[in-house]
Amino acid sequence: MDSYDLIVVGSGPGGYVAAERAGALGKKVLLIEKAYYGGVCTNWGCIPTKSLLNSAKLYTHALHSESFGVKASSVTFSLSDAMAWKEETIKTLRSGIEFLMKSNKVDTVFGEAQFIDAHHVQVENKIYEGSYLIIATGSSAFIPPIEGAALSHVLTSTEILSLDEIPSSLVIIGGGVIGIEFASFFSMIGTKVTVIEMMDEILPMMDPEFAKLMRRELKQVTFHLGCKVGKIDKESVYYTDAKGEQKTVDASLVLMSVGRKPNTQGLENLALEIDRRGIVVDDRMQTNVANIYAIGDVNGRSLLAHSASRMAEVAVANIFGSKRMRMRYHAIPWAVYGNPEAAGCGLTEREAKEQGIDVMAQTVQMRANGRFLAEHGKKGAGLVKVICSKETKAILGIHLLGPYSSEMIWGASALIEAELRVQDVKEIVFPHPSVSELIKDACFALDHSL
Amino acid sequence: MAQQVVMPKQGNSVESCIIVEWKVQVGDTVTTGDVLCSAETDKSTIDVESSADGVVLARLFEEGADVPVMVPIALIGEAGEQVELVENTVQQEEEKPVEQESQEVKLAVSTPATAEKASGASPRARNLASSLGVVLDTVQPSGPKGRIIERDVLAVQTEPLSPVAKEQALKQGISAPKSGSGIGGRILSSDLGKEQPSVAVPTVSSVPIQESVVEIPVKGVRKVTARRMMESIHSTCQLTLHAYADARALKRLRSGFKNARLELGLNNITIGDLVLFAVSRTLLQFPAFNAHFLGDKILQFNHVHLGVATDTPRGLLVPVVRNSDMLSLRQLSEASKVLIGKCKDGTAQTDEITGSTFTVSNVGAFGIEAFTPVLNVPEVAILGVGGIMLKPIADSDGAVQFIEHIALSLTMDHQAVDGADAARFLKALMDNIASIDLLMAL
Repeated sequence: MDSYDLIVVGSGPGGYVAAERAGALGKKVLLIEKAYYGGVCTNWGCIPTKSLLNSAKLYTHALHSESFGVKASSVTFSLSDAMAWKEETIKTLRSGIEFLMKSNKVDTVFGEAQFIDAHHVQVENKIYEGSYLIIATGSSAFIPPIEGAALSHVLTSTEILSLDEIPSSLVIIGGGVIGIEFASFFSMIGTKVTVIEMMDEILPMMDPEFAKLMRRELKQVTFHLGCKVGKIDKESVYYTDAKGEQKTVDASLVLMSVGRKPNTQGLENLALEIDRRGIVVDDRMQTNVANIYAIGDVNGRSLLAHSASRMAEVAVANIFGSKRMRMRYHAIPWAVYGNPEAAGCGLTEREAKEQGIDVMAQTVQMRANGRFLAEHGKKGAGLVKVICSKETKAILGIHLLGPYSSEMIWGASALIEAELRVQDVKEIVFPHPSVSELIKDACFALDHSL
Repeated sequence: MAQQVVMPKQGNSVESCIIVEWKVQVGDTVTTGDVLCSAETDKSTIDVESSADGVVLARLFEEGADVPVMVPIALIGEAGEQVELVENTVQQEEEKPVEQESQEVKLAVSTPATAEKASGASPRARNLASSLGVVLDTVQPSGPKGRIIERDVLAVQTEPLSPVAKEQALKQGISAPKSGSGIGGRILSSDLGKEQPSVAVPTVSSVPIQESVVEIPVKGVRKVTARRMMESIHSTCQLTLHAYADARALKRLRSGFKNARLELGLNNITIGDLVLFAVSRTLLQFPAFNAHFLGDKILQFNHVHLGVATDTPRGLLVPVVRNSDMLSLRQLSEASKVLIGKCKDGTAQTDEITGSTFTVSNVGAFGIEAFTPVLNVPEVAILGVGGIMLKPIADSDGAVQFIEHIALSLTMDHQAVDGADAARFLKALMDNIASIDLLMAL
């Protein structure tokens, strides 16, 4: 029987990072993957959507750049070419992961893992033994029990990435990150998009002020908030609106994006504690079985690729490394890569209030910024909000809506992780001209003193 | 205008004092220097004198209250003055007894008393402490006259504190743990006050208890002992060796002293004093055991400052017989008795109960045979003395005799010394005790 220091099941941004880090420490590592390197993130999630969104953004810019002096005619969007670019990107990244595994001496087996006990995993007819087990099996799109949900034109985020023609109309059920990114993409390439959201605002982690602006900026998209879908048939989606009235909306295609469920099936032999969110772990990512760790979406603590990667490092550190690392969740950034982009890190004002923390907040308009004005003009929409503790002036949250948000937000994580205060941020030099200067401006708006 | 009288500061290690008894009533006229109350520190009892002339307008704490140093305890002013304010203060404190301490600590730091507080530290130490976020009260001084110098501040240096944590640590006087929960172990504000459990907190505290119980707050000597014992167990590698020394010479001398002429002043010399004497002389040959282990260095001392563990009504205290190796047996006996008396009365001064280089704990009177004394950190070793019992010993002819032996238990810090070193020291001590009469002649 082949025996390993560590067996990692799942090669998404959690699993492959765990394998890579443990391999780099000189441990004998086996990585088991049932489909492709990179998991949902690389193949059906983060990466393909970024590729398609970029194509759609280029198309949109080409169409609407006259005032910047760029006049283009006969601009068309080829979905098949965009899909080919997307596929190319995915393949390059997959081979990148393959290279990483090889260079860190990680063995990979492709196939469905069957868990025999806490130390043994079987793939096809072969049993592998591991001192430690990291479960990184991810999550799948959750399909609510709605009549018609199984119809062939009702897709999840996986199938919708393989369309071969642009749909004329699309109803997106669920206004979270996945729903809004697809709404942005399809509305940019000419599809009539309707988003039906059960809550009274889209993007629940976002400051309501920002979510409202996001809806306004997604001009081509129709939003129905506070609405509950009751039934889907071949032509229409039936829903009850906020006032309790029955409504319908026609759709040639429906995207179901109401949430994700952890992939916990097949783990029965391990006797793991599993709750509503997924496998229960502590802040070292350890499960109730001492040699088994669970990272990423399957533990449901933070459904983000970068959270999974960090959890991988925390788990490996606690198995083979310093054993001192703990997962911290308070400064994990999120980003929505639509047009416009949005990103945030830390608390919103509403969350601070719920937690009983006294805060101060300042919002500044992006059009007050030199670079933003040069590139987007006086009518461009964008916001930066900084939230700090009233008592200590520590930065507790930063929220961005506008270009480059996803690239700037790591700075917010650094400020929050380091527990810097408003007066400390004011001492940092930001490059000019850059949209990031607005973070400093917001800090001065919170406290003008020098 | 009314003036505040604060709980005076008693050296660097005393954080708070318990008001034992008020000597004045509200309305009494006092002058500067009059005793307002007696207060108990961790180690001794002090008189708190008035720092103002006038009428006592308010006593801000009840008897039994544990008051942080530099916190106002009484208001002195003209009769009838500012009565409203006084009432408010008292009322607030009655309403929030739990929060009182932390509020008062803040108050103490925000008053100009800060400057006075820091006077026991060199300017370099003070600057470094404020830039690192180190609370000076938590620093063990090693400079001349108990002054805190730069290296003392460096010794307590921790992982970097976040700006928020630094500010809060200094403002509220909370010491930071060695490392925190932030990036790379950085200390965040949420880590403050989460010091490595200096006092162990039982995890099963929430078990509902049916019968009535007596709740005793942990404070004063108990609190210090709890913290010191935990520190000792957490920071050292303790190992205890047991042995028995022939006690015939001890017994012989003791009965001789008992019957000696009164004018010689030897009648009160006990077996315990004889053991202290033997320890003080034996240690001179084993400097590794007359030492402090400080982690990165070991300090060996030229003279033996002998700690004598003493059971007092307020708990365990360890008075220190300085330069015990220079004292005659009679002087050593007398010095230890004076110090023990002061500890029992609660009048021992801080310098009389600090600075020991080796400690002896004697429980022989209770008939204890052997035990494992806990190190008085940073000392390298502690000797436990048990009772005298008969032990069967085979003589050179193979006949068994029953000979009185005294039990000795030596706990040593294996970080600083090895088991064989300890065995050698203990063997030498056994021999010296067995021939204590010869030792006295040296």
